[in-house]
Amino acid sequence: MINDLLILSAAGMLVSAYLMVGQKALVTAIRLYGIQSLLLGMVAAAIAASESRHELFVTAAITVGLKAILIPWFLIRIIDRIGIHREIEPFLNVPTSLLVCLGLTVVGYRVSAGFPEGAEGVSHHLIGVALSMLLIGLFLMVTRKKAITQILALLTVENAVFLVAVGVTPGMPLVVELGIAFDVILAVLVLGILVHRIVDRFESMDVSRLSKLKG
Amino acid sequence: MSMTADVLRAFAFAVLQAAALLALAPLLKTAIKKMKARLQNRQGPPLLQGYYDLAKLLRKEPVRSETASWVFVAGPRVYFAAAVAATTLVPVLVAAAPLEMAGGILLLVGTLALGRFALATAALDTGSAFGGMGASRDMTIAALAEPALLLGLFTSALAAGSLNLGGLVRNMLQHGVTFHPSDLLAFAGLFMIVIAETGRIPVDNPATHLELTMIHEAMVLEYAGPDLALVEWASALKELLYLTLLVDLFMPVGIATTAAPAAIVVALLAWIGKVLVLAMAVTITESTNAKLRLFRVPELVSISLGLAFLALAIRFL
Repeated sequence: MINDLLILSAAGMLVSAYLMVGQKALVTAIRLYGIQSLLLGMVAAAIAASESRHELFVTAAITVGLKAILIPWFLIRIIDRIGIHREIEPFLNVPTSLLVCLGLTVVGYRVSAGFPEGAEGVSHHLIGVALSMLLIGLFLMVTRKKAITQILALLTVENAVFLVAVGVTPGMPLVVELGIAFDVILAVLVLGILVHRIVDRFESMDVSRLSKLKG
Repeated sequence: MSMTADVLRAFAFAVLQAAALLALAPLLKTAIKKMKARLQNRQGPPLLQGYYDLAKLLRKEPVRSETASWVFVAGPRVYFAAAVAATTLVPVLVAAAPLEMAGGILLLVGTLALGRFALATAALDTGSAFGGMGASRDMTIAALAEPALLLGLFTSALAAGSLNLGGLVRNMLQHGVTFHPSDLLAFAGLFMIVIAETGRIPVDNPATHLELTMIHEAMVLEYAGPDLALVEWASALKELLYLTLLVDLFMPVGIATTAAPAAIVVALLAWIGKVLVLAMAVTITESTNAKLRLFRVPELVSISLGLAFLALAIRFL
């Protein structure tokens, strides 16, 4: 039962990462990230309940509060303010991106079988999903032009790493976890300010313009 | 002797199941309309509206273009017959499809494709611009949706070790339901396919007759009276069929494995509940999304194709 819930949540995270690739509206992409984080919180809570590792409940609460509510709210506020709502021209079009992500997922899943814990069972799926999400996140980061999408990609990678840390390892000390949480929120804040600066300067969120000279 | 008795029993079962689904299909369509209206703070049509509409259309005289040939007349009939035939291949209350000795997943998809082909050729027959446009659009979407449908179905077939829908459900119930990540991927893919195939909002709008956007409606624009009633009824039946298929593949718990009355009653209640939940999901999707531009529809369908392919790939890894 708990295993089913874990697998279902992890698969949900993969689906949300995949839909993020197929999505051009920034608000929906941000919501998808929120759902993904919520599922990550569910993974943490499920493991906490099944293995009675109560400190994981704190992790779950931080994950949900921070990544499923606060960060999406902040990002939505940014795009509302600067009034840019769509990813218009990614470097690769959507169907091609999806195909590449298919390949990346197959690679991620295949590689996960090589881990000693990942040979079979729940951890196989957790590692597989996490590696696939990591690769999809990296791919998203290099093929999208809008700064917000790149932030979301970074956060997806972070979610993937967190999924392995929570699901497969015996767990991190609470101090480290708090540190990561603050790191993430600081990164989002700084990147948010950076997005504002980019938009101020170039009247666009397109980061490929950063490499051009402007007099 | 027992052989013919078995065949007779299977046919009786098939007729019964097809008739029951046919009788319930207009209700589902109206129920979705009603739920959608409630979400928009409207009252919505009465629950029996689907039947009234069909009765009205059946009473009318069919009006056919002078240039129409027998293909035009045959179109709705083949479409309707194919949809009815398809219902006999899907388990509904009992973990066995009435005519499962005839074939499984491939026959089901093939039967539905036959109906679609008949309707598309019939739409081309009168030579009207709308018919041709609707047929070409419908076929474009179908060309992408059909492989995705097959891949999604194969994912479940691979897990259960049977291409036969009855056998598939029996195997799943026997081994207990365990989740695999591919289940969710396949479900997400198939759900999008169901939306596309039943002409629901991000893909097509069943309530519009705006020439730029309609797909299915453009294809059947030339039909009137009983012909139109057959098309509408078959479309409603197909929708119920797709939802039942999703229930069979992904939430088989509750389907009766014996013919005991108590088990059947439980299965009936479970089936109604599960179909209603899915119908609600369809309604929410319809209400929260805007219709996609036609040229973006292949993008959406290719997402579901990707999800279904991924689901199948993960099964092997």
